[in-house]
Amino acid sequence: MTRDELEKALLAAHASGTGRDLSRLYTLAGDQAEGAGRIDAACFYLTQAFVYALECGLPEAAELNRRLADKGRAHLLDW
Amino acid sequence: MNKHDKLAAVMAPVSTANGLPNEHYIDPSVFQEEKHAVLFANWAGIGFGKDVPEPGYAKPVEFLGMPLVMVRDTTGELGVFQNTCRHRGMILVEKPGKIRGAIRCPYHSWCYGLDGRLVSTPHVGGPGQNKHDDIRLDELGLVRIRSYVWRDVVFVNIGGGAPDFEEVHAGLLQRWTEFDQPLHSGGAASGFKLEVKTNWKLAVENYCESYHLPWVHPGLNSYSRLEDHYNIEEPGQYSGQGTLVYRQLQGDGGAVFPDFGGLSSQWDEGGEYVAIYPNVLLGVQRDHAFAIVLEPVDCEHTVEHIELYYAKTSAETPELEDLRNENAKLWQTVFEEDVFVVEGMQRGRHGMLFDGGRFSPAMDGPTHCFHHWVASQLDKARTAETA
Repeated sequence: MTRDELEKALLAAHASGTGRDLSRLYTLAGDQAEGAGRIDAACFYLTQAFVYALECGLPEAAELNRRLADKGRAHLLDW
Repeated sequence: MNKHDKLAAVMAPVSTANGLPNEHYIDPSVFQEEKHAVLFANWAGIGFGKDVPEPGYAKPVEFLGMPLVMVRDTTGELGVFQNTCRHRGMILVEKPGKIRGAIRCPYHSWCYGLDGRLVSTPHVGGPGQNKHDDIRLDELGLVRIRSYVWRDVVFVNIGGGAPDFEEVHAGLLQRWTEFDQPLHSGGAASGFKLEVKTNWKLAVENYCESYHLPWVHPGLNSYSRLEDHYNIEEPGQYSGQGTLVYRQLQGDGGAVFPDFGGLSSQWDEGGEYVAIYPNVLLGVQRDHAFAIVLEPVDCEHTVEHIELYYAKTSAETPELEDLRNENAKLWQTVFEEDVFVVEGMQRGRHGMLFDGGRFSPAMDGPTHCFHHWVASQLDKARTAETA
């Protein structure tokens, strides 16, 4: 997915308020940024992904929290 | 005559006492005073456990302007929190429903667990940085309001200073210990609400006395006459009335609701109807019960939230659905018959020369008991304020 496509998909997910999609798309954005070595951007996206996963009760929340905590960007939560 | 003198007249014995003066029903400043001294300082009802039926359910409730949210956590425990984010004070839960994971503030997405713990503060330390040394999760959970669920009514002590619910209401818990068993909501048709143009206290006062029954509920006269009722008065705790001739509703073919289990013979034809101070009205009978939470909207408006409960679930007794609906209609009729008197007494209290009224020493004891309690709460608060 190109960056433009991802931004469009994110806007659509925000418009529909679909937390599961938001978490998945922000995770994808985080993965892309991390792969490009843009750690601050990656942590921004992963934070967004984590919050929507947490809100929706998705199991991915634990892994997202761990990724952020590993980078010193979040408290590691006790699940 | 100052405020204390007027309350002294209310706290006199029933044979000589006056009722609460007009300002307790029509003056917004006294309403505000009672909000704190009577309703927030004690265990007030705000809703029903059935409204948050499963773990994860949340229901926002505004009680006297106070934004609250009832939440059933993953263990099934019901908690009540101030429905306000600890960050910028945003309202957290706008509508009833299931919380799938966490309560997320819609403003900056601070997230709270179902137990009120703050679990996430996104970007609090800057973009992508979700922690900050000065923001401690364990210090910023949702503000928990003391709560207690009894007979499916959710009671809260917003002021936080009342003795424990089980201590305050030990007398009534003991009196109705036989009914300490599961209650089941009768379903959507068994709950209704009445919006009445009255001060909340008049709804209490009308509920807890039987004096008006032959005049306002003439349909009860055929089997439930005035002399079949008795007063219930426990100063400082609760008051109401009881009947000795409760008669079960019968459907086609003589169908009746199943009884609550193990009741003594007292309840074969007995029923009791009690106002548990300040704002909850309860009724118990062998085969069904009800609870009314009075929501004081403002000085002259009240919403009565009414729920009927049974010994068996609707799923266990689908054949009784029509009877449950008929029962709900019967009670709705009875409660609607009371609307004109509580609204009429409210309008009557704009009569500037009304002195609070005099009580029938024989019949109005339960009402006086409530007035005395309200006056005592106000007197206590006023004394504390001037001390």
